[in-house]
Amino acid sequence: MAMRQTPLTCSGHTRPVVDLAFSGITPYGYFLISACKDGKPMLRQGDTGDWIGTFLGHKGAVWGATLNKDATKAATAAADFTAKVWDAVSGDELMTLAHKHIVKTVDFTQDSNYLLTGGQDQLLRIYDLNKPEAEPKEISGHTSGIKKALWCSEDKQILSADDKTVRLWDHATMTEVKSLNFNMSVSSMEYIPEGEILVITYGRSIAFHSAVSLDPIKSFEAPATINSASLHPEKEFLVAGGEDFKLYKYDYNSGEELESYKGHFGPIHCVRFSPDGELYASGSEDGTLRLWQTVVGKTYGLWKCVLPEEDSGELAKPKIGFPETTEEEIEEIASENSDCIYPSAPDVKA
Amino acid sequence: MQTPVTIPVPVLRLPRGPDGFSRGFAPDGRRAPLRPEVPEIQKCPIAQESLEFQEQRARAALRERYLRSLLAMVGHQVSFTLHEGVRVAAHFGATDLDVANFYVSQLQTPIGVQAEALLRCSDIISYTFKP
Repeated sequence: MAMRQTPLTCSGHTRPVVDLAFSGITPYGYFLISACKDGKPMLRQGDTGDWIGTFLGHKGAVWGATLNKDATKAATAAADFTAKVWDAVSGDELMTLAHKHIVKTVDFTQDSNYLLTGGQDQLLRIYDLNKPEAEPKEISGHTSGIKKALWCSEDKQILSADDKTVRLWDHATMTEVKSLNFNMSVSSMEYIPEGEILVITYGRSIAFHSAVSLDPIKSFEAPATINSASLHPEKEFLVAGGEDFKLYKYDYNSGEELESYKGHFGPIHCVRFSPDGELYASGSEDGTLRLWQTVVGKTYGLWKCVLPEEDSGELAKPKIGFPETTEEEIEEIASENSDCIYPSAPDVKA
Repeated sequence: MQTPVTIPVPVLRLPRGPDGFSRGFAPDGRRAPLRPEVPEIQKCPIAQESLEFQEQRARAALRERYLRSLLAMVGHQVSFTLHEGVRVAAHFGATDLDVANFYVSQLQTPIGVQAEALLRCSDIISYTFKP
């Protein structure tokens, strides 16, 4: 019997979710942070989507959020012209870093000693987190607002994207090494350290470049404008989402579209694979995050593979198995013999 | 044309959402060992703790009363005051999990009686009923 994807919806935000990031794998599992236009970024357990806490303090939309590798620190970039660093265990605000315009992107180095920020003032800033009072180092050169900035090559280089360019900088000399020009707006960028791959989305294209040389590797075209894409850690699949509210899964080697999933009620702004590759998370204009299984039907996190003959006595509650359904799917459900409870799409509340 | 019959992957439960009254980061959470030792510089932590627990209990009691009031309303005639001075009456059926919608029947509106209707909580200013 074929299994159908059951996305797990994480509600709680009241405005569009514009960015999300996973931590590395820690002794306590891995974690997920979401940036939202409601100004209240949230920390969740990565494999279940369970809410852990909300970082309170920003006075404007939060455009970017990230966790350090062991999920002990979080950083957020907001429209209130600040980036903040947080203790991700207690939820306390550790530092507020004032900027001169909307901050869009934040990224920790591997050792969590430095924070890279970028935003509408077109400057890249590097803060020494051990010396918060010291002035950050600034790198100028972008001619439009910076949308994403990432450390790469073991923090020896920096990748940054503005509206139409992606630039590679050397950290030590703070100078530009190379740049790529696009004739369409760059919507997202992801850096994969193992293999030094850069994933860039623009228009309907999902492009893969070498993070070292910026040379193109390959690119795929999606059926709709794509806002974000993510490559699986083992580089077997990639997932992408955008303006048609759907998530697409492709085979990375062949470029074949493997699956597409409906579920979100608005454009998808961000999508990322978990560090173990077992699931991917999507954030949408509809204010929700959804978790999707990479291998549909596998027992992982909250998903439980139950074979038809298996006695369901071990699960005390009736199985809750229904995703938000489309018209076609409702007919299928009516004919299925099941005691599943249909969870109504939770209304997002303040 | 036959469409393949597929079963949605079963889940143990849905992800837990925010608790609605705190910012989270439970002090006794799984990662408590990672918390730095904070010196007690605030005034009498024990008194503060009991205040917090008291508030917690009060909130829980108020919530329970509200939920019981919703149960008591089932099947009764309820009068709703909506925006723009509109008043409607209906038989109360149920609310959804988040109390975002009220399911009612025989809704008496200025333009007629609606057999079944959903009233959005955000449209309701107040409601009243006699048990």
